[in-house]
Amino acid sequence: MDATIISPVAAASFELFRQLAVDGVVLGTVYALLGVSFTVIYSTTGIFHFAHGVAYVVAAYVAILAADTLGLPWIAAAVVGIAAAAAIGILVEVGAYRPMRRAGATALGVFITALGISIAVPNLIQILFGPNNKTFVELSPATIELGTVTFTTLDIARVVISWVLIAAVLFALRRTKWGLATAAVRMNRNMAAAVGIDPDRVHVLVFGVGSTLMGIAGILFLLNGNATPTMAASPMLIAFIAAFLGGIGSIGGAAVGGLALGLVTSLSGLWVASDYQPVIAFAALFVLLVIRPQGMFGRRAA
Amino acid sequence: MDYYADIAVQILFLIMLGASLNLLMGYAGELSMAHATFYGVGAYTAGLLTLPVATEAIAAASSRGVAGGAGWDIGPALLVAIGVSFVVALLLALPALSRVRGEYLVLLTLAFQTVANQLMGSADSVTGGAYGLTPIPPAELFGLSLGMPTQAFWLLLPCTVIVVAVCFGIGESPFGRLLKGLREQELAVKAVGKDTVVPKLVVFGLAAGIAGFAGALNASYYQFIAPGTYDLNLSILVIAIVIIGGVSNLTGTIIGAILLGSLRPILQEVAGDNAIAWQAVIYGLLLVLIIRFRPFGLVPEGTSMLRLFRRGGLEPAVAGASSGVKSVTAVAPSIPELPPTPGASTAAAPPRTDAVVLSEPVVVTDPSPVLEVRNLSKRFRGLQAVDDVSFDLERGKITSLIGPNGAGKTTIFNLLTHVITPDTGTVTLNGEDISGLSPHRIAKRGMARSFQDGRLFERLTAVENVMLAVPGNSGENLALLATRPMHCRARDHEARELALEALGFVGMRAQAGTVVADLSFGDQKLVAIARLLATECDVLLLDEPTSGVDPGAVEGVIEVVRGLRDAGKTVCLVEHSVHMVGQLADRGIFLDQGRKLAEGTLEELMGQKHLTEIYFGA
Repeated sequence: MDATIISPVAAASFELFRQLAVDGVVLGTVYALLGVSFTVIYSTTGIFHFAHGVAYVVAAYVAILAADTLGLPWIAAAVVGIAAAAAIGILVEVGAYRPMRRAGATALGVFITALGISIAVPNLIQILFGPNNKTFVELSPATIELGTVTFTTLDIARVVISWVLIAAVLFALRRTKWGLATAAVRMNRNMAAAVGIDPDRVHVLVFGVGSTLMGIAGILFLLNGNATPTMAASPMLIAFIAAFLGGIGSIGGAAVGGLALGLVTSLSGLWVASDYQPVIAFAALFVLLVIRPQGMFGRRAA
Repeated sequence: MDYYADIAVQILFLIMLGASLNLLMGYAGELSMAHATFYGVGAYTAGLLTLPVATEAIAAASSRGVAGGAGWDIGPALLVAIGVSFVVALLLALPALSRVRGEYLVLLTLAFQTVANQLMGSADSVTGGAYGLTPIPPAELFGLSLGMPTQAFWLLLPCTVIVVAVCFGIGESPFGRLLKGLREQELAVKAVGKDTVVPKLVVFGLAAGIAGFAGALNASYYQFIAPGTYDLNLSILVIAIVIIGGVSNLTGTIIGAILLGSLRPILQEVAGDNAIAWQAVIYGLLLVLIIRFRPFGLVPEGTSMLRLFRRGGLEPAVAGASSGVKSVTAVAPSIPELPPTPGASTAAAPPRTDAVVLSEPVVVTDPSPVLEVRNLSKRFRGLQAVDDVSFDLERGKITSLIGPNGAGKTTIFNLLTHVITPDTGTVTLNGEDISGLSPHRIAKRGMARSFQDGRLFERLTAVENVMLAVPGNSGENLALLATRPMHCRARDHEARELALEALGFVGMRAQAGTVVADLSFGDQKLVAIARLLATECDVLLLDEPTSGVDPGAVEGVIEVVRGLRDAGKTVCLVEHSVHMVGQLADRGIFLDQGRKLAEGTLEELMGQKHLTEIYFGA
């Protein structure tokens, strides 16, 4: 919940409402991407990938490192950062989760592994790069005014890129061979293995895709934000909440969940001071858990 | 000196936090990401209550935040701090713990931790915001002040000992056993007639209350509180202490707290400004390595030195009964009815058949069916698993559900005990409609089931497994445990005796003290039957009691099931072995593809050619 994205509260008025709605769509788009990136992994592997934020922070720091030390143009550096995010995600799966699975660990055991990684990596980054803000690129996006509503070209780029990515993931899961293999593993891991699909390779695939999306989210944030070692804490929580709001395991649901969460958070600015807006996300989660525990689009477990 | 005393005091706080979280994580198997928040809730509550009442001088001196508090003494402030943390935790956990998925609690506590910590920093008028609350007056007792590290250590040490003793007492009580059961097999706990939601809520609130107590002391010790102390990192540090030390083992938690608590001052010497980051890197990696290579922690459950102090122990009652005879009639003792439980819901239950005395055959005279099943149906997506099935169970008889794989036999058990909700149909037990009741209430009404795969509490001993099924064990209720400890102890002793008798009935008394995971599969099946017997239910649903049992032991199981009927129990079996059914069942109900095809004695059923063709394949 970055205060810079959320407009300060003024008198409640229709203009304000429109501005907050537009801000909410931009915010919700980011949230949707986060939620989808988590759900791609969770829905297929059943792993509560608590170390998901690692991809976000690694993408940012590797991109900055590539730009600073190799002198790469920022777009190339961003690509390097995103590749690093995918690599670290796959590394966590292959190097940490897979051995745990082989050893017959419980879900709690795998979660503890994730917890350990999620605390070690940002602190390692702090030791290596220091605790202070790092900037990646100084973009100066143009401001667009439509009546009283303003937004930037960067906002548009964020919205377009995120939804294109989400659509591409949904398409790939439904229409490609790998997508069908993923669906098979999701439905019945053993059965999928029996018909010649290697579940471990599918795991690598979804960790790669999910971490790539998370890395892209990290880079998109960096385009007008600063990197800090703890930068992933808040987006990670948002990813979890969006995923659960939408309904566990539903990728489209996670996208809608994220969008709804962004809109609600932003529109709450009509009544709530920005300091208290984090409470809105929590309240949304709490209320939904009470009234509709399977999520907005989830199926009730048998 | 003060430097080292301060480190020691910090370790004491970590021990209090670790011990309370271990109660939740180790015993109940539920993970909370918000333990630091409850610590903070206690600290802020006590801080606000004990801050001196604002005067104009103070208000003028304090440029920001909270100028004054309620000016209370530390004593009542401690109590309120515990209460507030407890209540906040209950409200938080209510929606999550009444659901099945463990992820909900993780997510909700994580969100709560993050949001509450942000609020501590932003709600200036209540918490003092980033500036925090100060100066909180340090508590004093026996001439020692909590404000001086060395003196504080001697004040906090007994507090820590009390906290550890309370956690240990609860963990090793019948309530703690119930929590372990929940950790191992929640469904099985319901199946033996115990509520699962209330104990989880209680332990969650309790762990938070203890954290709140520690937080209140923490506020008084530092005389200053700020949001940074109670962040997610601390929550994870406490989790690391519990995991690294060993779950459901407080000795391990103490060792873990000392290890990780002394890490930071050492790192301060070595790494300077990066000490906190290095500490996090180290315990993060330790978590990954420990859970991979030593999943039960440095000091695994059950190896504690404190075990020596455990009252009663497990073995003595068993010593004389090691004849190992599987012939049931030879060892079958009597299981007397328990006296009615005060206050428990047995009052609402219908009267059961008269006192069950297992050694003598019971002549059942009541001809009305004990269980009436009408028009039961269940559809799973495209599959009609159970299709309009009706049947009765006759009192004191063994009825078997027969049919090929996929006939819907186990599904019927799941529908009868409401593990799965039927689409249509009613189930009437002793004349009472039990269709809508939850699984544990159905067991309380007198019908319990076993599971094909046993579903025992693997890391508990055989006798503990069976004790968990004994109804009316007062010590499983924490309120009674606190108010009437001697009564609870006596009841738990009775429960142990009953459990040993039930184990004796199935010929497993000699293995009473063995951890179930170490038993052979056949022996586990017998323990499962003993557990079922201990529920004191009249109607017992046995799901494939002989599957996976080696042929030599099958006769023993048959004897046991026959013994159940002779003791007046109504038994319903799902069984594949025609031999077993022929030996045992008074009646059979033939099912295929979810429908009831025929009903009668086994001879009648097997005399019908089309049935044998379905069963054995044409």
